[in-house]
Amino acid sequence: MGRYILRRLISVIPTLIGVTLVIFLFQRLIPGDPAVAMLGEHATTENVARIREQFGLDKPAFLDRDALAEGDLSGFFDSQYVRYFGRLLQFDLGDSIHRRIPIAETLQERFPATVELALLSMGLSLIIGIPIGILSSARRNSLLDGTTMVGSLVGVSVPIFWLGIMEIMLFAVILKWLPSGGRLSSGVVIEPITNLLLLDSLLTGNWAGFTDALKHIIMPAISLATIPTAIITRMTRSSMLDVLQEDYIRTASAKGLSERVVLFRHALKNAFLPVITIIGIQVGSLLAGAVLTETIFSWPGIGKWVYDSILGRDYPIVQGVTLLIAIIFMLVNLLVDLSYAILDPRITYE
Amino acid sequence: MTETTPVLDDLTDFAVREHRSLWLDAWRRLISNRTAMIGLIVVTTFVLSAVGAHFFWKYDAKMDLDYGAKLLAPVLRVSEESPEIHIFGTDKLGRDIFRRVVHGGWNSLRVGLVAVSISLAIGGILGLLAGFFESADLNRLEQTFLMLAIGLSLGALPAWISAQPIQSLLFGLLGVVSVSTPSFLANKSRLRRLVFGIFGMLIGGFSGIIVGPMVALVCGVIGLGIGLLLAKPVGGKVFSNIVMRIMDIILSFPSYLLAIAIVAFLGPGLEKGMIAIGVVGIPVYARLARSAVLSVSQKEYVLAAQSVGEGHGRILFKHIVPNILSPIIVQATMGLANAILSAAALGFLGLGAIPPEPEWGAMLGDSYKYLSSGAWWAVLFPGLAIMFSVLGFNLLGDGLRDALDPKMRV
Repeated sequence: MGRYILRRLISVIPTLIGVTLVIFLFQRLIPGDPAVAMLGEHATTENVARIREQFGLDKPAFLDRDALAEGDLSGFFDSQYVRYFGRLLQFDLGDSIHRRIPIAETLQERFPATVELALLSMGLSLIIGIPIGILSSARRNSLLDGTTMVGSLVGVSVPIFWLGIMEIMLFAVILKWLPSGGRLSSGVVIEPITNLLLLDSLLTGNWAGFTDALKHIIMPAISLATIPTAIITRMTRSSMLDVLQEDYIRTASAKGLSERVVLFRHALKNAFLPVITIIGIQVGSLLAGAVLTETIFSWPGIGKWVYDSILGRDYPIVQGVTLLIAIIFMLVNLLVDLSYAILDPRITYE
Repeated sequence: MTETTPVLDDLTDFAVREHRSLWLDAWRRLISNRTAMIGLIVVTTFVLSAVGAHFFWKYDAKMDLDYGAKLLAPVLRVSEESPEIHIFGTDKLGRDIFRRVVHGGWNSLRVGLVAVSISLAIGGILGLLAGFFESADLNRLEQTFLMLAIGLSLGALPAWISAQPIQSLLFGLLGVVSVSTPSFLANKSRLRRLVFGIFGMLIGGFSGIIVGPMVALVCGVIGLGIGLLLAKPVGGKVFSNIVMRIMDIILSFPSYLLAIAIVAFLGPGLEKGMIAIGVVGIPVYARLARSAVLSVSQKEYVLAAQSVGEGHGRILFKHIVPNILSPIIVQATMGLANAILSAAALGFLGLGAIPPEPEWGAMLGDSYKYLSSGAWWAVLFPGLAIMFSVLGFNLLGDGLRDALDPKMRV
């Protein structure tokens, strides 16, 4: 197992380099001079020169063959990409153009907000999706099953940003039950421990803070959870249906085990692998979906940050956050692969 | 006696049952499936209305402006206050939302179609070739081409460094030589590698020396590496691996985050959105096509075709492609739904269609800004249009899966 983990981690490296290459190449997509594009048309030549130097835009993209022709071997490797990669190895994601502070610094503030939202949404979709999936597979072709199937199809078809807007329209604008955006009302203070507001307020026994944070998170969490819930429900159902046709299920029922035991002890255990896979993939969609959800609910996480940076043409932030999300996504999928061995003793990794 | 006649009739009927093709069978299964029919009707309605509106209902987005009719709630009947009918109401510029939703369909569906075509064309072909060459043995000609291509592309690096395109060609030739001399030092593979490595080093080093000593050194080292690699002609497995590793890189990004990032750098626009969504979708089809090819490539009919000596191209297009079409058609239908959703997301973020061009996502992004005015109709109808068109394609895709592959019914 240990050797397998090591091998998988090593096999991630080429993909990771490819990912950095793709993100680096984004800059080449910018029409015209990237430095001018970053600063806007009215930038002073001085500022443009500063940006060019800061981002090494005066260097060649990959390798400097002119330096090599003059016999300068170290100059040969002094390029934009090599510098970019070198900085990444030191966990330096670069600086914001507008605020001129390291991206990693802002990330520390912003990331917990997204994590909190994503965790709650994932929790919601697991709590709703898996039981409903199991039930509708056990009562195949019942009314519940039909409703589940239609509901999950609608769930994957609904644009989550639209759902978010409609929620705001109904609960914030018309009914005025919930706040339309943000993480906390002004004036409410929660002592930061983990920066996950719900957790922090519970830890410090701050009940008023907890309800306020909950009121703020509930709408974004529901709209972000919609697609994962629908997909997890469908996957649980179809995977359970496959397993329920097996002989050992019939044997278990025949020997008089209760339906609950058959469903949960015999069927679910075996039906869970495809569900785990799909859960891993949904983590990616949660992180990406955060761009839309956070924008609508003014949620101060990394998604909203990316959106603001796109509008402000603060390209290093877009690059940095995209890279971070891609790395998280890859690690989650690695964990999913490893969890197979734990969940299913028949699978061993050598 | 009279009782047996009808039975006999039934039997004969059965025996001479009309010939029905696979596709006709699938079509019959499709139209007998209620949800699939609903999907088909929804999709057809959207397609017809969008195409019809584009060609027969003139609309000039740039001229559409009427401040007098700003933010009117849906008007179903002509009255004193509202002389015109607006069944979906009007937006903040007094534009009729119904009209813009119908015309927006043209843009949204077009983005979906073009994006899926891009992913399908590139991903499908890559996956097809990867799957086929992974399972089939390459013939001499194909192997020559493969090694030529590998030599050319690897050689491009030293060729670029020394600014001598000839190097790339020489490495390509070295690849060809490697294929055409299989018996040379066949049982002393280490020595063979060494010989090819030295050749590679000479190609890189000698031509590099003209530019400068350092260039010669670097090109020589790279050339040595390329030579070592080229010594052993590789099979199709390597091609497949290269393709799939590249796909893995694209798949490491959550799909539409990558599309958003690409468009963020390209700048907004409907065409750029199409390209971004299309590129992001490539790996899905590549993986699907590859695994479908691998699953049929050991079937009896393919082996039979191989054993009677049919060419690879013929086997691929006459025997394999027709048998893997169904999963690809299903995926493409579902992919359309996804592409429409992604396009709407881009439009919503202001990265898709450029205003005042009507597009569902952009209309939502626009109306979202004056949400507090309570104009629910400005956000409800474009959103419903997205939802129903996506739902339509999803239902149709589900139905198609059942119809085209009854065994896979879930």
